[in-house]
Amino acid sequence: MTTTEASSPPASRNIGVLILGWICVLFGLVILAGGIWLIALGGSWYYALAAIGLLATGLMLNRHRIEAVWIYLLTWVGTLAWAWWEVGADWWAQVPRLVAPTVILVLILICIPALKKRA
Amino acid sequence: MSPILFRLALTATLAAPLPLLAQETTPDSDAPPQQQDEAPAGADPETTAAPQSDAGEAATAEPADTADSEPVASVVEPSQTRVAAEQRQVGVDWPFYGGDAQATRYSPLDQITPENVSQLEEVFTYHTGDLPEGTAEGKYSPETTPLKVGDDLLMCSAMNILISVDAATGEENWRFDPGVPNDAIPYGASCRGVAIYTAPDMADDAPCATRVIQGTLDAKLVAVDVATGAPCEDFGENGTVDLWQDIGARVPGWYAVTAPPAVVRGVVVTGAQVKDGQAEDAPSGVVRGYDAITGELAWAWDLAAPEANRDGPPEGEVYTRGTPNMWTAATADEELGHVYLPLGNSSVDYYGSNRSEAENEFATSLVALDATTGEEVWHFQTVRRDVWDYDLGSQATLLDWQGTPAILLPSKQGDIYILDRETGEPLTPVGELTDLPTGDIEPDYISTTQPISEWHTLRKPPLEPKDAWGFTPIDQLWCRIQFHRANYQGFFTPPSSERPWIQYPGYNGGSDWGSVAVDTERGIIIANYNDIPNYNRLVPRDEVTSQPIHKQESGGDSGTNAEGAADPQEGAPYGISVNAGWRSSLTDMPCSAPPYGGIRAIDLETGETLWDRPLGTARRNGPFGIPSMLPFDIGTPNNGGSVVTASGLVFIAAATDNLFRAIDIETGETLWSTVLPAGGQANPITYEVDGRQYVMVTAMGHHFMETPVGDEVIAWALPEE
Repeated sequence: MTTTEASSPPASRNIGVLILGWICVLFGLVILAGGIWLIALGGSWYYALAAIGLLATGLMLNRHRIEAVWIYLLTWVGTLAWAWWEVGADWWAQVPRLVAPTVILVLILICIPALKKRA
Repeated sequence: MSPILFRLALTATLAAPLPLLAQETTPDSDAPPQQQDEAPAGADPETTAAPQSDAGEAATAEPADTADSEPVASVVEPSQTRVAAEQRQVGVDWPFYGGDAQATRYSPLDQITPENVSQLEEVFTYHTGDLPEGTAEGKYSPETTPLKVGDDLLMCSAMNILISVDAATGEENWRFDPGVPNDAIPYGASCRGVAIYTAPDMADDAPCATRVIQGTLDAKLVAVDVATGAPCEDFGENGTVDLWQDIGARVPGWYAVTAPPAVVRGVVVTGAQVKDGQAEDAPSGVVRGYDAITGELAWAWDLAAPEANRDGPPEGEVYTRGTPNMWTAATADEELGHVYLPLGNSSVDYYGSNRSEAENEFATSLVALDATTGEEVWHFQTVRRDVWDYDLGSQATLLDWQGTPAILLPSKQGDIYILDRETGEPLTPVGELTDLPTGDIEPDYISTTQPISEWHTLRKPPLEPKDAWGFTPIDQLWCRIQFHRANYQGFFTPPSSERPWIQYPGYNGGSDWGSVAVDTERGIIIANYNDIPNYNRLVPRDEVTSQPIHKQESGGDSGTNAEGAADPQEGAPYGISVNAGWRSSLTDMPCSAPPYGGIRAIDLETGETLWDRPLGTARRNGPFGIPSMLPFDIGTPNNGGSVVTASGLVFIAAATDNLFRAIDIETGETLWSTVLPAGGQANPITYEVDGRQYVMVTAMGHHFMETPVGDEVIAWALPEE
């Protein structure tokens, strides 16, 4: 048992990080598809771009790479800037723009110790 | 009943009241309301319960048999004899649907103040007992506002049960059930209110000297004695006038009265709701005046044949079909002898090329008629060639505006107009939108210009892609995709079929039937409003699956959907699909950002906004229909108006959070609120009994507003010393 545990990669992976990673991949794919549709309709490019960031974050999380944190931070700061540019201090309008992305940010920050251990 | 008998009854009833009507009633103007106080006290709830069932049978047992009597109506020549009578005053009483005769919804009472309003306590809850059963399930929207006259609250229930309740205790005095069947429910079971009329020359203790009059869902005018609830035998057939007369084939639910009648100089004026979107060949929108004592037709105003059909259509014919109707409350002008009719649109709302010139001329107009003759005095159109269901829903308010007798008209587009009520000329600036898009469906029909109020509008700027909303980026993105898929060119975007179109504001307003309150002392208009788009599509005929109401089997599920959700519009090349409130197919939440409704104070002098706040908290709303319990003022959709008191308070329920609240008129701050047991989609009232001021609202729910159904009539007052 101990030998297999040491040599098998999954054993050292944090299950929470993996779940978060797959959530980011899933949401990233959904938003990417919708975002491309929106671009095709002449709408905002934000969603597709943010989806790429989210997708990349998810893939990095699945590999337990600390880069996931940096990629997501970039995505989140970009989201913040875009959201402020679009609707400013209209807080009801900020709900869809900032609440869920910030929840994911917090979850990713919680993952940092696990990612560092792996690194 | 035979025509001969009818003639006999008519001459008998005409002989007495008409000459007497000519008498000047002003000298003893205060007398009727005072004597009024005595009458209801004599009402005995035990003994008066009896007549209801008999009369109910009588009312339902005498359909379509008076067709021959129509020509007789021309015998009535009221124009020379009908004079103005002194009107009851608001204050101790709430004698009109709109509070006073001017429909200002302003009360001079001032016992409840901004300082003490937080001490309000419930005095009584009265249950009408009228709750939906069977096929009425999911169709209740009572919207009921009682009158308070003397010691009594006088009201109708959703299914038109007339009820008198002691205004201080909530004990029932009497009730009269006209026996309205479920299949009479048009879109929703609503009875917004009743009217009261005191015959100027009947002995005070004569039966029906003062009478309560309502229009019913099964299209009857019903008059009962204010003290006993017994039907007025002199009025129509045993207290009932059949409004289906000369309308055409009886299709229950297609033609229904939901608003209180207006009584002007002894003439009871009523229109009816013609269920929207069924067919171009629909019941007429004719507005009719009836003698308040005899119930005899005084005149008819058929906008497509005003002269020819004034005394009713020729033998064997009906009033012009499919014309714009008046489903909301008219305003009586006793002084000028006018009645002001906020007209809706033609029966088929979203397609216009088949409409007549008369329909185009009058649809969505405020029309002033001489209430003694039924002749048009003027009309003011708020939408040209309306293909958006922008019916005028608000009762107009009479006021003196900078020295001119005026009328204030709010519209569903949110525009507020003030007109000279003698001429219809605008007293405030009216602008014109030009070069409006005409679309692909009927480009020659759609108007390229539209009037707007440059004095004040409740309307917000056009939607932008960034206004798409949701709780997460995913559902916001979905709504944003829907925005770009739709055809939207701003205000008055014409209907389209290949792609959906966004209509903003939607048909709920702006201002709807709750109308506005006008504090004439402070010079402030209080207007609550909706701020919601609709997401619509014209459905090509071969894709239309719904049947018009006259081809449905009875007890169909019409009414459980939002108005226009899937209407056939028979006769037009398209049916209509309306997504009211542009709800997301993912979450059922609106696709547009909050607030969805607000309340605003407007300076009556300048038209400037004094304050503007979201109305309604998020406590009952949330994604997937789950209440969020959030106490934030998100601003919910709302239906129902407000009351303003001399002490500077605004009382309003209306919002979908089921709260009833008192707002400081100076600041817009909510000073007091209480949770209602059901939706408060009704106009509140205030009144006084024995020196104690009460505020009252009915909590009965609303199917379209998705608030819980109830049967409560609730009164609050300050604690007694």
